[in-house]
Parts: sequence; C-alpha cells; structure tokens
Amino acid sequence: MASPALCDSPGSPDELSGDPSLQEDEDCNSDDRVSDSGSYTSASSDYDDLEPEWLDSVQKNGELFYLELSEDEEESRLPEIPPTVNHVRFSENEIIIEEDDYKERKKYEPKLKRFTKILKSKRLLPKRYNKKNSNDNGPVSILKHQSNQKTGVIVQQQYKDVTVYVNPKKLTVTKAKEQLKLLEVLVGIIHQTKWSWRRTGKQGNGERLVVHGLLPGGSAMKSGQILIGDVLVAVNDVDVTSENIERVLSCIPGPMQVKLTFENAYAVKKEKTQPRKKKANLNTNDLVKLLWEEEAEDNQQNIHNTPHIIMYLTLQLDSETSKEEQEILYHYPMSEASQKLKSVRGIFLTLCDMLENVTGTQVTSSSLFLNGKQIHVAYLKETEKLLLIGLPAEEVPLPQLRNMIKDIAQTLKFMYGSLDSAFCQVENVPRLDHFFNLFFQRALQPAKLHSSASPSVQQYDAASAVLLDNLPGVRWLPLPQEIKMELDTALSDLEAADFAELSEDYYDMRRLYTILGSSLFYRGYLICSHLPKDDLIEIALYCRYYGLLPLAAKQRIGQLIIWREVFPHHHLQPSSASNTEVFQEPEGRYFLLIVGLRHYMLCVLLEAGGCASKAVGNPGPDCIYVDQIRTTLHQLEGTDSRINERLASSPSPCLSCADWFLAGPREKTDGLATSPILSRLQGTTKATASPMCRRTLFGDYSLKTRKPSPSQSSGGPDNGCEGGEGTGLSPHPTPDAVLKQRESQGFDGSEESGALLKGTKKKSTLSNPFHLGNSKKDLSEKELEIYNTMKLTSGPENTLFHYVALETVQGIFITPTHEEVAQLGGSVHSQLIKNFHQCCLSIRALFQKALIEEKKKALNGTDDLDSTNSVSSLNPVKEHGVLFECSLENWTDQKKTPPVMAYWVVGRLFLHPKPQELYVCFHDSVTEIAIEMAFKLFFGLTL
Amino acid sequence: MGEEGTGGTVHLLCLAASSGVPLFCRSSRGGAPARQQLPFSVIGSLNGVHMFGQNLEVQLSSARTEDTTVVLLVGLEELTNIRNVERLKKELRASYCLIDSFLGEPELIGDLTQCVDCVIPPEGSLLQEALSGFAEAAGTAFVSLVVSGRVVAATESWWRLGLPEAVLLPWLVGSLPPQAARDYPVYLPHGSPTVPHRLLTLTLLPGLELCLLCGPHPPLSQLDPQLLERWWQPLLDPLRACLTLGPRALPDGFALHADILGLLLLNLERKRCLFTVQALGDKEPAPEQRRRLLRNFYSLVTTTYFPPEPGPPEKVEDAGHGAQLPRACYLVLGPGMGWQVVALQLGPRQLLLLLSPQSPTHGLRALATHTLHALTPFL
Repeated sequence: MASPALCDSPGSPDELSGDPSLQEDEDCNSDDRVSDSGSYTSASSDYDDLEPEWLDSVQKNGELFYLELSEDEEESRLPEIPPTVNHVRFSENEIIIEEDDYKERKKYEPKLKRFTKILKSKRLLPKRYNKKNSNDNGPVSILKHQSNQKTGVIVQQQYKDVTVYVNPKKLTVTKAKEQLKLLEVLVGIIHQTKWSWRRTGKQGNGERLVVHGLLPGGSAMKSGQILIGDVLVAVNDVDVTSENIERVLSCIPGPMQVKLTFENAYAVKKEKTQPRKKKANLNTNDLVKLLWEEEAEDNQQNIHNTPHIIMYLTLQLDSETSKEEQEILYHYPMSEASQKLKSVRGIFLTLCDMLENVTGTQVTSSSLFLNGKQIHVAYLKETEKLLLIGLPAEEVPLPQLRNMIKDIAQTLKFMYGSLDSAFCQVENVPRLDHFFNLFFQRALQPAKLHSSASPSVQQYDAASAVLLDNLPGVRWLPLPQEIKMELDTALSDLEAADFAELSEDYYDMRRLYTILGSSLFYRGYLICSHLPKDDLIEIALYCRYYGLLPLAAKQRIGQLIIWREVFPHHHLQPSSASNTEVFQEPEGRYFLLIVGLRHYMLCVLLEAGGCASKAVGNPGPDCIYVDQIRTTLHQLEGTDSRINERLASSPSPCLSCADWFLAGPREKTDGLATSPILSRLQGTTKATASPMCRRTLFGDYSLKTRKPSPSQSSGGPDNGCEGGEGTGLSPHPTPDAVLKQRESQGFDGSEESGALLKGTKKKSTLSNPFHLGNSKKDLSEKELEIYNTMKLTSGPENTLFHYVALETVQGIFITPTHEEVAQLGGSVHSQLIKNFHQCCLSIRALFQKALIEEKKKALNGTDDLDSTNSVSSLNPVKEHGVLFECSLENWTDQKKTPPVMAYWVVGRLFLHPKPQELYVCFHDSVTEIAIEMAFKLFFGLTL
Repeated sequence: MGEEGTGGTVHLLCLAASSGVPLFCRSSRGGAPARQQLPFSVIGSLNGVHMFGQNLEVQLSSARTEDTTVVLLVGLEELTNIRNVERLKKELRASYCLIDSFLGEPELIGDLTQCVDCVIPPEGSLLQEALSGFAEAAGTAFVSLVVSGRVVAATESWWRLGLPEAVLLPWLVGSLPPQAARDYPVYLPHGSPTVPHRLLTLTLLPGLELCLLCGPHPPLSQLDPQLLERWWQPLLDPLRACLTLGPRALPDGFALHADILGLLLLNLERKRCLFTVQALGDKEPAPEQRRRLLRNFYSLVTTTYFPPEPGPPEKVEDAGHGAQLPRACYLVLGPGMGWQVVALQLGPRQLLLLLSPQSPTHGLRALATHTLHALTPFL
C-alpha cells in the first residue's frame, strides 16, 4: 500500500510556508494522487470507484467526526428538522460572535494557509490528498464550513445574509496595485474571473461572483459564514456582479458593517445532485441537538441561566503587557449567569496560591454562595496553570465534581496531549466550546438526555450517571462463552492485521499503523476488549464525553467514523527505568479510530512509528483500516440478536423490585420483618432463549442449582437460586406477566407465600398481584430458568434490588442493564435506584480516601509515620452501609400508617488481591454478608 | 472569621470583616494550644478574598486541599458595633480559655452536637429534689450541678435555656481553672445577648460544682456555707458517687455489651447527649483516639445522612411519603484497625457506637438497637 510519505517529505517548505500561490505544487500533487488513487481503488474490493462519503468531512488536521444515522432513524428525524432552520442559523451566529470575542481579546489571527485549494479540489483529488495537505491546523472557519455544508442538505437555505465589518482606511496601508481587488482587500473574498466555471452562466452584464477563496484574516473569513462556492449576489441590498462590484465597494465611505447577500451554493448543488439521498450527515455541532433532541432549545435556555463555568487560568502573569483578563486562557460559557463566577476568579487564584503556601498541599475545591445558591468549584493545578470547574451543588455533589474535573483533564490530555495544548491553541476554541457544551448539558440535565428513550431508561440513566459516569471503568456486559469467543476471534483477526490489504506483503511496504488493541461496544456496553486498562478507560472517557455510548445505545447508527490523533497516557509516559531489558515504548504517535455500525461501536487504537511507518503531518483516516474495521463489524452482525437476548434476560444476579415488598405488608398482621416471598423470573422471553446463551461465568452455581434439593429450597446461605419445583419459592414473573395471570390464578400464589411466612399471616382478602407464583409453568422451561439464574442474596427470598461491581484491574464494572431495570419497573424502585447511586457516591468518596492512603503507604513503604493521626480519622474505610426506609408514595388511607420498607445500601472496598469495589442494595429482612455477595458477583468476571 | 488546619494544627482566626483587623488568632497543635501563628500575609489574603467576594455578592464558604485540610470562612455578623478595636481585643482575652478548649481535644462533644453533655447519676431524683429546694432558697430558678463540664442535674428553668448558652455554660465551667467559688459575668447569646448576667459557681466537692445563673441578686456572699451545708450535707454520698461518673457518664450498674468501646447517645428533642469512651477502657484504641473516631463519625453521619435540623414540618410531611430516609449506617475500618462504628436513629434519639473488630458486622444494627432501647429511660 502506498505510503503517504512518498511524495511529500515531512519538512517540505512548500507544505509549511503557507504561501497562498502554490498552484504548481498543487497540480503536481493532484496528478500524483490521482494516479495513485487509481491504483489503490482498483485494488480495493469494496471501493472500486466509490469514494467514501465521509471523505469530505475530514478536517484540516486530519480529524474526522462523521456520523450518519440509519435510514429508519433518519426518517423519523427528518420532518423535525426543517422548522429549526432559524435555530441553526441563530446558533451559528452566536458561536461566531463568541469566536470574534476570542479573536479580539487575543488579537490573534489564524494562520490560514492553503485551505482554499484543498476545498476546491477535493472533489477531484483522491483521499490521501487530504492527509497530505492538512499540515495546517484547521482554522475556525473550516469547522464552520463543514457544518454549514452538512446542515445545508437539510436546511436547504438558498440565500443568506452575512454582516461583515469593512474598513476602507486599511487601503491606505496596503495600497493595491491592481484596481480590481477591492473585494479581496476590503471584504476578504477572492474571486478570480478566469477560474469561474461558468456553470451558472452569465447574469446581466457581469459574471456571477462566485467565492473562490477567502483571504486569511479578512472580514469574510472572520464571519465564518461565507463558504467557498457561495455566490455573492448583493451588497447592502444592491445587486452585484463582477461588473459592478468594485464600484459598489468603492462607495463605502468609512469603517462600517456591510450586509452581504449570498446564494448558498451547496444548498443548490446538493439538491440537484442528490435529490433522493436521504442522509443527514450530522456534524459535531449537531450532536448536542441529536442527543438532546427537540428540547434542546429549552434546555439550552435553562442551562444558560444556571451558573456554571470552566476556566483555564495561568498563574504566571506577564506584568509588562498587563491586559484585561489576560490570565484567562480559556473559559466557557459566556452566559450572564456564569459571568459572575468569571469575575471572582481572583478568589480562586488567591486561594490556590495561599493555601498551597500554608498547607503544603494543593487546593482541590471550594464552595461559595452566589445569589443564595451554593456552588462548588473544583481546582486542578498543573504547571502554573489552573483548571477550574464550577457547578451548582444542587445539581452536582462535590464528590462527583471532583471526579469530573479529573476525568475532564484526563480526557483532554488524551485528546490533545496536554492541557496547555488543548487550551492554548486558538483553533481548538470552538472544539472545546463544543466539548464543554456537551459536558455541561450532561452534568446539568442528565435526565433530558434522550427524551425519546422510554421514561424508565431515561430515569435510570439520569440516576446512575452520578456514580457511573466517573467510575474508573467501563460498563461491561458479561456474555456467554460462545459469543465471547466469537467476538474475541473477530477482534484478534482484525488486530493481527495480517491479511489482504492490511498485510505488509500486500503492497510490499511497511504498514501505516500497528493496531495496539481494540474494544467493542454494543449499545453502550463494552462486550469485548483487547486494550490495556488505561487505554480502555481513556477511550471510554472520550466516548462518554462525546455522548457516543448513549447514542449507540438508543439510536441505530448508519455510520460513524471518528479519527483523531490521541495521546494515551499509558504509552506516552516516560519509562521510569533506563533498563534496556524492559520494554520501551516506541516514540510513535497514536491514533484513535472509532467505527460505528448500528448498535456496534469498535474502537481501535493505532500506533504509527515503532513497527509501522512513521506518521507524517496530520494524516486523515486511512480507508483500508476503516474498511477493515467495518468488515469486522459486518461479520458480527449475526451476533447481535443473541447479544440482545442476553441484554433482555440476563443470567447475572436476579433482582427484586422494591414495590413488591411494599405491596405486601398490607396483609401482614404483625410487624414481621419478613417480606413477601418474591424473586424475579428471568422474564417471559426466556422460553425462547436458545441454550447457546447460557452463561458459564457462574458455572458452579448453575451446577449446584441444577438438581434442586429440599435443603436448597428451604434456603441455605449458599442457595444459589430460587426454587425447587412447584414450591412457593417459584420465580416471580415480571409485572406484565403477573397481571395477565392475575385473573386466572386467583389467590394461589398469595396463599402459598402466606404459608411460607411461618403461618403467621391471615388468609388475605386482598388480591396481591405480586404474590402470584407461577406453578403452572411447565417444567422444562422452569429448569431452564433455574439453570440460568443466580441469586446473590442469602435466605429463601431474593432480596437484591441493585448492584454495581467495579473491577479496577481490567477497568470494567457491571451493573443491571437498562432492560433489566425496565422489566422491574415500579415507582418506589426507581427512587430507590436514584437514592442508591447517590448514596454510593458518598460511600465511594470514603473509599477514594482509603485508596489514596493506600497509595501513600505503598510509596512510603511504612505506615507507622502518623499512625496516631490515621487511627483517629475514619480512614481507611473498608465497608460502609446505610439503612434506608421508604414507604409508598401515594398513601391515601389516613387511618393506617403507610407500609414501610427498609433496605441497605452497602459498599465494600477490597484492596487485596486486587482493588475491587462493590455496591449492593438489598432488603433489610435478611442480614447479608458483603464478602459473600462480592464473591458471587466477581466470580469469573474476566474480560 | 476564618478557621483552618494543617496536619494536626488548627488555627482560629477572628477578623473584623469591615476593617480586616485581626481580633484574635488562636492556634492549637495536637490538642494543646500552640504559639505558632498564621503569617500576616495569609491573614491579609483571607480577608482580601472575603472582601473581594463580598463586593461581587459572592460569599466564599469553604475550601479544601488534598490533605482534607479544611478552610472555613464563615461570614459572622459583626459582634456588635465595634467602637474600639483595641479594647475589644482586650475584652476578648477573657474568653481565650473557652476558645482554646474548643480547639483542643475536648472530652465533651457538645460543641459538635449542640447538645448538652450529661451524665446519669445513680440517685437522680434525690439530687433533683435538693436542687429545686436550693434554687428556691437561693432565689434563682437557674441552677445546675456540673461535674467536669457535664450536667448531672439541673432545674427545669436551666434546661429551658436557649441553645448556645445551654451548651456553653457547663463547658465554660469545665474549662475554667478550679476555684472554690466564682462570680462570672456572662452574656447569653440567645437569651440575653446585650445585658450580662452573673454566673455563680460553688465547688461542692473537687470537680463537682453548683452553678447558678442570676441577675444582680443574690450577691455571692449571701450563699454562705450554712445554706450549702443545709441542702447538700445529707447528699454527700450520692454527690461523691457523681465524681467518678465524669468520663463514664453511665451509672456503675449499667452493663454495656462487651464489644462497645465508645458510645454517643443524643436526644435531639431535649438537646442532651451522653458521650463516653470509658467502657472497656483498657483495650485498644486509647480513649483520645476513640473520642476522635466517634467525633469524626458523628460529623460524617450528620453531614451525609442525618441532618441535624430536619427542616420545617411541612417539608417533612412532603418527604415522608415515598422518600428514602436514612435510618442507620455503619462503617468498618480497614486492615490494621478493623474497628466498626454504627449509627442508628430512632425517633428523637440517635445512637452512635464504636465497636471492637470481633463484633460481627451484620449484627451491628441489632446490637445498636438493643443498646438504644436499654438506654432510652436515661435520656
């Protein structure tokens, strides 16, 4: 395969000079490339003469974020979009204004180089042209350009007004030699008569004023709304052509705002050329809208009014060039509510400096009151720079905020190498704005994410985000061995990169990249990973902050391709030992390639340098790799039905719904603490479950429970699972199924369970839908269920409500799936889940202290230093449990006190042999021993 | 007013918010008063931060660093109109003793719980009777019997004292150097913030003091030995028994479970608490450590699970249905220590226990419930 390094040497002065008149060079390149691509495409089986549709979206710096929804998602979405035309324009205007702020503030002119030619010729040139010519970091307007281009398809806006600022006085400085250059000098629009393609023909006497290029730093470019290919039709409502444009412009007396009216080239063109193509290529700016859907505007407004801020400040001030706000390197958002937080940055800077002097440790957070609202501010200091995130305490508790700032810093470093390179480069500003827009949306309005999803899923997502978003792990879905094997094989084949176009023999040259590892997500769950833990977590963080995981969970992605250079900490940290025997990381560069297809998402970490050839410039995604990954995903298409099955009916610990326990006590005659006999059935879908999907993870339990014995049905502590045949311990069907059975079965179930409650219960006169057994289920089916289920709690009933288990060595955690929670339903239960996660957050804050302590100990080697001090503080905490009581929400009976249910939320930290954290929530009726539960949960939990 | 700590050091700094003049600065290291003071630049910065924020209507409340060092900036309302800062400074010196006792490692917990530290005397009714009679004879309704800062018995009126003073008065008595009798002017922050009252103390037995709160009358001289003898001579034995009660707080006959290393019982309605770490005093950890463990646990529990003020009643009603209310919690410490703490809330009472490692974790709640029921008659 052809290497991009063949034709352009990395340090080629042409590439870097930024000289806008490099036509020869361009021609040479394009010729080369065309032939090059010819050979390439003919060799490629999939892309005979098809150019990948995402190619246009590759940015100047090689990055690509290309998202295309699947057809059916698209159709449901399309009708909604046209009414938002104004919004699209509005939002873009807004962003432009912000960008202007930046520029004015920093007096920074983007070094725009040869982008005009690239854009112009990209239709002619093969894909690698992008890669090669994208040395320049893309200026702001490139981003804009593409977003417009893409939205143009949907918006179909024909004419647009752009207001630019012109200053004819500048002419005196740059006295133009040619006369016909006012358009260029004043407005910054390059129009060359000889280039005009005359497609549109003549209009009146003059030629149409097609924008062929934009002058770097010119007003047109600054506006960010003028696209190459647009046609300038009017200036301040005066129709213009090439004939009269100079005359019109020369009439501008002094510095002023001028309204330019353009005909939108893309809208027209795309409509013509692709009338039936119903693809909305969603650009990054649309991602917010996509995720938050039509409520986006409301949300934006709400969020607008909530004080929140991110700031990146420098602590080293240049006293000579003292300017207003010079210490602010970056901040977001610009809203008024956030302005106040910005204005008190002096407090943060002072505290940071002073507290470090006094206490010797760095400040981590502070709290303040603003308009009666408590706001927490988290600090992260690094090399004389200070990163600050402020959020209202009401929305984001302090422990969560502390985790957030760490994650943010880690993600930014992963994306840009360091915080400095993320924040201090002007071209990153719109990208960061977008990043933090997503971040704050998620932080402040987690419930609004995905309003289209079912309410229970939505609630569960919002409730669990507080804990799960910041766990140092990825949500994992344990799969049956057979499926796992299949996935492993597919990924291994890909990673081996030893066949077809990926093999080095194929083109007889060094491959471009080595695949370091890959991990596969399905509907937002990690299902297979061949990446080291650190890489996996960083990639997952990236996906989380860009909302990719929920996207894949809820929407079928037609096509998602993300490509960017990344800086995985794990590979880039300088090796501590100079020992040559230890493996040394090559001084390579790393690229992340994410390809999404339907609900699948495959993240691949690539290394350039080392074994592969060195990366030059800012390479864009390589078709062969994208293609190969897509093929891998296509291979797995058959598997998703089985994974879905597994999602819907998991053999992981079965859960009870809190509402079942509350419904019962009505019948209780005394304050008996025992709850109704309830356990969860796998769901009715089980009947169709193929034997293949049996899980072997908890094999020993399955084996035990396979032959139900009387002793087991009476419930020993190790009772792996509910039930012998036909006893009152029968698995409980889902509420839906229960309701159906209700009529037919009468009171059988409640009587049965009543008998089990040591006979203390009177025969109930009320029918309780949750007490029904399902003794009429046929036996073979039941055996299957028994085989598949695992009960975590001891005692005859299943008292487990929820759990989260974090395994830090592999960087994964497991928790009930959305489907499982949705099956349980229940209003009390959903509140319980919310409470559980919040409680876990505070429990985890204690564990984090313990972990820090442990690290310190490991560093010092001894622990006797301040033993007196550590004895008196509650540290390290090993286990922490909280007992909660709750009652029914709408209790109308005034005479009786509402039934009360008590449940524990218990967190347990295991340091040895490897750090693990377990959080469980169970009913109070049976005393549980956390270690036992943990053993059952973690057993066999391997990637 | 600012407060902050470094490692084991605690600084209490009091500034006049308007002028930035430091009123006093007390430091304590490892429980003992320390000479080490905050550098002036730090004091200046703290005040600067506060002023700056105030101008922009932003009030900084706290800041934290890695070492869980806490900075608390509490914008306290100005004491009174400060006419003469220097004079105020001098006057404040009188309270250094009390302030230092807060910064040190107190045996009491009233400062944290805002409940009066109490002990349970073996013959409470006898003492109570004598106290009422004595109060009548002395001409004031506010009388209490205090042993090393803990209230043994008090008149109804004394119990009705408002919150800060109810805790502060016994605390003050406990923190002052021993004297046979005192006549001490006090302002009552809640009941009488501007007019001073007199706090009279009479030492009945070393460590056991009779406290009277009164206006201009009676003069100390009027409480002559005869009056004391008449009322208290017959009760000498019960009084002697109170002396040993101090740190143990519970009568000798009362048997706690063998695993209990420390206990804190609060009655939030009556604003009284029992705090003892004397049970099984010979085992690890040392009493000071036990106290610190329980204090820390109390802070954790109140900040996270049982907020001290349940809020207005209508809100409680709202929260009552469907809300998830915490009732109990426990914590097991890590390797090398293994101590367990458990907290339980039942009605107006809260019980916190420090337990030895051998106590089974799943039985913590049962043990706490049992202990709470046994203690209910006392408080």
